[in-house]
Amino acid sequence: MDADLTLDTKGLSCPMPLLKTKKAINQIESGQVLEVLGTDPGSKNDLPGWCERYGHEFLGAEDGDGFFKFYIKKG
Amino acid sequence: MVGKAKNLYKILCQDNWNAYITGILIAVFSIMMLAWARPWGAVGAVRNWGEWIIYGVGLWDKFGFGGFYEIEKPVAFLTHSGSVIGIGFVGGAFVSACLGGDFAFNIPPKLEMVKAIFAGFFMGLGAAFAGGCNVGGFYNAIGNLSAHGFAMMIGLVFGAIFGLKYIYWEMEHIEWGQGGGKTIELPGALKIILGIVSLGCLIYGSYCYGGNEDLVRLSGMLLIAAALGYSMQRGRWCMIQGFREPHMTGECTMAKSVALSIAILAAGIAVLKFQELRVIEHYVRGTFGWGGVLGGVLFGFGAMLAGGCGTGTLWRVGEGQIKLWIVAPVFGISSAFFTLLFRMNNWEGMDGWLEDGITDEGILGRFVYMPDTFLGYGGSLALIFAVMAAWWIIVDWNEETNKLVLEM
Repeated sequence: MDADLTLDTKGLSCPMPLLKTKKAINQIESGQVLEVLGTDPGSKNDLPGWCERYGHEFLGAEDGDGFFKFYIKKG
Repeated sequence: MVGKAKNLYKILCQDNWNAYITGILIAVFSIMMLAWARPWGAVGAVRNWGEWIIYGVGLWDKFGFGGFYEIEKPVAFLTHSGSVIGIGFVGGAFVSACLGGDFAFNIPPKLEMVKAIFAGFFMGLGAAFAGGCNVGGFYNAIGNLSAHGFAMMIGLVFGAIFGLKYIYWEMEHIEWGQGGGKTIELPGALKIILGIVSLGCLIYGSYCYGGNEDLVRLSGMLLIAAALGYSMQRGRWCMIQGFREPHMTGECTMAKSVALSIAILAAGIAVLKFQELRVIEHYVRGTFGWGGVLGGVLFGFGAMLAGGCGTGTLWRVGEGQIKLWIVAPVFGISSAFFTLLFRMNNWEGMDGWLEDGITDEGILGRFVYMPDTFLGYGGSLALIFAVMAAWWIIVDWNEETNKLVLEM
């Protein structure tokens, strides 16, 4: 999936991936896509929940090579 | 049939459990632990392990541990009941992480490793002031009808806020030590095998304890602790998250599930203590006062840096998160040192309470077993239910309004 910005949170644990995502989303425009790379199993729940609350669209997750890739479309 | 069995396996071992169900299970296992032997805690385990590290580097006598405790070396970690609870807890979390495919060696960036050291220090110091970590000082404290749990609860709210403010500041101002985090995965089949072997080890260990007359009480403690660790990892149930999320994202599921869990726990323990099936002194500590509040602030701040409270740290250890592998031993060493310091100076007044029932001998606060006050058992439970209901209502209201959310 093509992304406008990629954020690397590999190796970070709760709550850092979500906070860094929160900060990074401010750097893109509405409708653009943020790619978050991460390894914390908690992110699988945290990110979709956060997107729902803040009106962003969680486009889905893919398996990378030893990490997850999450895609978020800014609302 | 095979499909149904697979489905059950998926629910038990792979799916993330609902937070409320996990909270109810934690309460049930916690009541079972007291019915079996004693309440459970997390800091008791890491303190014993910390004492072994201190002994291992040759500082046991130098710092006065040997003289004060009148033992040549710390209690063996396989016979120390707190340590056995910790082993069971981490073991259960490891089984869960392996079967669910979550286990991996997760190596954090350098900044996180440095934060882990400070986190462990603050958590050990805070737990000494509060009379326990988030379990013995808060969760099992209120559950055991001791007022010191409320003192720490107030402190934890502010500790989480200060911790969050620090993290916001760090994200804006510290560039050093970012990046470079990586993960070393194990093959899926190996994880399942490790999970099954570890489960076997826990069961075998329990049988070994059961066969020894002096250690029989440890057999059940090991297994019930494993059930606690397993459930918390499966539900990713983290108490500090309950204090943090209302100020970070406004999300309140974890806070509500902790409130629900404490209400059930208190009712269950009231049954055991009222009927005198267990002595009331269990987990009543002399920190209902400024000690408990300050301890909560320090512990909460440390747990924010760690990314996990006492229990959240231990189940993440079982999940392979290297940052928490640094937090746990530092937390243990810090807790061992400060506990010794507090006991040497009798700052809590524990002996006076246990021997003569003196409630205000210490300087950290008072010993208050709530049913011994004008509240009685009924009033104590009513008070606990009311506080938990208030907490529930506030965080739920905040989820809708975001009034308590701190902006970056």
